[in-house]
Amino acid sequence: MNTRKLVLFLIGIGFSGLLFGSEDMENRVREIAHKLRCPTCQAMSVKESDAGLSLNMKQRIRELLEEGKSEDEILQFFEERYGEWILRSPKKEGISLLLWTLPGLIILVTILILIKYLWKKSRDTVGIDTSPLSKAELRQIENDLKQL
Amino acid sequence: MTMNRKLYFLLGISFTVGLVIVLIYGLFYSSRPGEIPSAQLQKTAKSFQATTFDGQAISLEQFRGQPVILNFWASWCVSCRQEAHIIEAAWQQYGDEGAVFIGIAINDTREASLGFIRRYGKTYLLAPDDKTGTISLDYGVTAVPETFLIDKTGVITEKVLGAISRKTIDSFLSGQL
Repeated sequence: MNTRKLVLFLIGIGFSGLLFGSEDMENRVREIAHKLRCPTCQAMSVKESDAGLSLNMKQRIRELLEEGKSEDEILQFFEERYGEWILRSPKKEGISLLLWTLPGLIILVTILILIKYLWKKSRDTVGIDTSPLSKAELRQIENDLKQL
Repeated sequence: MTMNRKLYFLLGISFTVGLVIVLIYGLFYSSRPGEIPSAQLQKTAKSFQATTFDGQAISLEQFRGQPVILNFWASWCVSCRQEAHIIEAAWQQYGDEGAVFIGIAINDTREASLGFIRRYGKTYLLAPDDKTGTISLDYGVTAVPETFLIDKTGVITEKVLGAISRKTIDSFLSGQL
């Protein structure tokens, strides 16, 4: 009786392992498919699309995962065949890097210009003029002193 | 206007003009959904094996030294009907001169493909892709019909998205035969 329970228990563990294993595999397929653009309907990801080519791509992702390929290797596999546009998040290099960093750079430069402007304005408000006096001003001062 | 102000003004103007140019380029010139760039152009065509609908085993390698017109099609595709006669007529004309015409059916049932072949009288090498679409994925196919023109050295020189014209086939083969 005990042996029978043990066997049933082990079969149960094996079955749930298979079940969860396959669920995990499907989650990974979905994750990777979400990062790829549907070649036929480009506004959608492969994950969302039911187009024939997207279904093939999902199947291929599954096969590549079963072969032990990593996510990066799978994304590279499709990039080699379709080009970089197949990736929904373009790589942060070359012109793409410029596009990624440009908004940040613009904000940074704007802040720097603003700081410089405000600093200059506050300095001007204090009103300390360090420029040398003109001849007329010197003459005026001398006249004022004589009158004292 | 001081020198600094002039400089800032010029910088601002240059930046704005630059941004507008990039915007116009991006909106009207760089993005053409109908002209998806192929990563396979000017590269050696990926080798593949297939079994034709009439049971003949073929491999791209066996046609090295001959120009190949590799066409991806499906029976449910409207544009494939449009080009069916064009490809068959070109095959009838150039086949004897050494041009190779291969049609790979993708995402299609065998019965539907065979029906299409009979209806349009296609006689060149016609084979189904496997269930995973290995050949079409290897060529980065985005839709059907899509045709790859492979020169005698095995390099893909052109990709045609949509129904191929007779003019394109003639122009390609005139330089190859």
